[in-house]
Amino acid sequence: MFDLSINAFFMQLLTGLQIGSIYVLIALGLTLIFGTLGVVNFAHGALYLVAIYLAVSISDAFGFGLALVLVPAILFVLGLAMERGLIQYFYNRPHTDQILVTFGLAIVIQELLKWIFGANNVPFAIPQWGNGIIMMHEWFPFLEGFVVYPKWRMILVVVSIVTVAAVFALLHLTTFGLVIRAGMRDPEMLKFLGVNINRRFMIVFGLGAMIAGIAGVFGGPVTQVSPEVGMHLLVPSFLVVVIGGMGSLGGAVLAGILIGMAQSFTAHDINLSTIIVYLITVIVLLVRPRGLLGAKGVFE
Amino acid sequence: MTDVKSDKTASGWSRRDVLKGASVGAVGAATPMFFTKNAWAEEAIGNYPVKGSEVVFGFNVPQTGAYADEGADELRAYKLAVKHLNGGGGMLDTLKPSKLTGNGVLGKKVTYVTGDTQTNADASRTSARRMIERDKVIMVTGGSSSGIAIAQQYLCHELGIIFMCGLTHSNDTTGKDKRRYGFRHFFNAHMTGKALAPVLSNEYGSDRRAFHLTADYNWGHTQQQSMQQFTEAEGWSTAGNILTPLKTTDFSQYLAQVMNSDADVLVLNHYGANMVNSLTNAVNFGMRDMQKNGKNLEIVVPLYSRLMAAGAGSANIDGVLGTSGWNWSLQDDGSKAFVDSFVAEYGFPPSQAAHTCYVQTLLYANACEMAGTFYPPAVIKALEDFEFTGAGNGSTLYRGADHQCIKSMLVMQGNSPSARTSDFDYLKVVQEVDRETANYDPSIFPGELGPYKPA
Repeated sequence: MFDLSINAFFMQLLTGLQIGSIYVLIALGLTLIFGTLGVVNFAHGALYLVAIYLAVSISDAFGFGLALVLVPAILFVLGLAMERGLIQYFYNRPHTDQILVTFGLAIVIQELLKWIFGANNVPFAIPQWGNGIIMMHEWFPFLEGFVVYPKWRMILVVVSIVTVAAVFALLHLTTFGLVIRAGMRDPEMLKFLGVNINRRFMIVFGLGAMIAGIAGVFGGPVTQVSPEVGMHLLVPSFLVVVIGGMGSLGGAVLAGILIGMAQSFTAHDINLSTIIVYLITVIVLLVRPRGLLGAKGVFE
Repeated sequence: MTDVKSDKTASGWSRRDVLKGASVGAVGAATPMFFTKNAWAEEAIGNYPVKGSEVVFGFNVPQTGAYADEGADELRAYKLAVKHLNGGGGMLDTLKPSKLTGNGVLGKKVTYVTGDTQTNADASRTSARRMIERDKVIMVTGGSSSGIAIAQQYLCHELGIIFMCGLTHSNDTTGKDKRRYGFRHFFNAHMTGKALAPVLSNEYGSDRRAFHLTADYNWGHTQQQSMQQFTEAEGWSTAGNILTPLKTTDFSQYLAQVMNSDADVLVLNHYGANMVNSLTNAVNFGMRDMQKNGKNLEIVVPLYSRLMAAGAGSANIDGVLGTSGWNWSLQDDGSKAFVDSFVAEYGFPPSQAAHTCYVQTLLYANACEMAGTFYPPAVIKALEDFEFTGAGNGSTLYRGADHQCIKSMLVMQGNSPSARTSDFDYLKVVQEVDRETANYDPSIFPGELGPYKPA
């Protein structure tokens, strides 16, 4: 059943890109939080869950535009509250404690949302301007015949690229980013220099949650809105962080696309598609124990 | 005086006289039983005998997990069934033949305990075992998935407890995994294929090429096999079948494969959230507006439920064909009695899962009344080949050979948003398929029911 025609190859390439885009958006927040705060945040999938439920509720009531503005903002505030109210007490605790508490929090959030919205899927209508399909054969003349792809999924890919670029710009072109990157390397030294790194890290946690908010607004119609979605995305997203290299934004992007492609190109065989993510993880960790772009000295 | 040896006692009874008398007495005492239907030597089996003035039923439904909404509706139906068994009303007025009086079962008040299957086979077994061993339930019922139903059915058979299946549609439940202690009222995948394929052929033509996306577990596999078998019998061909993990939420990688094929029909062998997601994704990919081989690409959902249709949304299911076991809009006396009492109790109409669970509870209770005992082998005998009406699917047979209910079923079609008149009529009945059409020879599936008395 494996079809290697140019059309099939192109479709699977696009599909891999859009699957990878979701992973990248979620892994970006995860790796930011892990890279700066050293916190293994298993509640990050639940933040995505909160985002998609908020997005569908606000979008249904007031329109998609308001959801686009409000959801990332709400998630940013939620991230700050989470960091101040819970996460900060676990900075100096072992990773196992952090995993247990954030995993517990994720389950609480998941069951709470199920209690409020029910276990069934909540339909998330794509806004009118995002509906429809793109005639790919009109853009790519090498395609044979008729090849289409949903416009919304292409928008998701673009949003993912823009978000990644924005985060890179923030970290590499601003003073705030410079301090954060320095803090990732040597937080003690920054404290000696009189920089309140904890306050900035708190903002980074908020930013990570905000990216989950952006992912929720654009990813909700793709991943669907049901209580199990957060947990389903969490494991592959964590593997993306590990494969890419802990705390490496470039690594998260590379690994996200790699995993997306692997899932797309093995979809015809359930046995292969089930193990492919783990297979890649094992191979990468054997060859490059720090991950694809893991930096020496970060979390070692 | 004589030397003749006498075995007479001082009372004048010889040992032989005592033995003769005892034998005659035993035969005499047992005589009524020889001519009594379903007379059994009733030793303890499972939680029989039932002690005290109450009898406990175990309702094991998904209260968490992917099918929690369906489980919640099942639980509503079970509670209503208990209310009717103890106080009358509902289908007690329409079920025929029936010995139910609305005064409990065999003079005992019906109570219940609930369990959470978590939509997980291991959790369902643990929960059922707890109800059997700790709460001493006489019967277990529930479940919203075939894997879970089969797991509980095996456990209950082993422990001598009758299991009245909830929503389970796999051929295996009453096929290769059938058990003497398990009974299914719901229809199955084979019946879906048999009923749906002629309608599909009539609607879309006999020269069609189908691609299946199939949930990778027991039900999905049998559903796909049955759909392939019956659509190919109608002249269709099969372009491919991809197994999809049960927890998939984004089906894009599978749909890309379908779009790359030359198939002009997509069959979604998915249920619950799986179906909602795969159908929504397919619509997003523009597949409902697509043409293949000069024909409109069609999507088929073999097993429909109202809750699923609501999850997918009217716009997405508009015109999509599938099957259901029952629908709240049916106008027979049994359906109306159940729907009226359910609406009066909860304020909205029941799902097909609620219907099958309610009927199963009543059928078990009625079988106990007919057998005159809770003794499991006698109750099983009473259920086997029991013919009844007034439960919502016309004349129904609980077939003894495989414990599958043979009854009419429904071919359904998604309603367009503009055609809907309430929040509940997502689906309309296209055709009521009669019992004879849905029927099949039980020997086409392997498996043995096993003994009446568990080893």
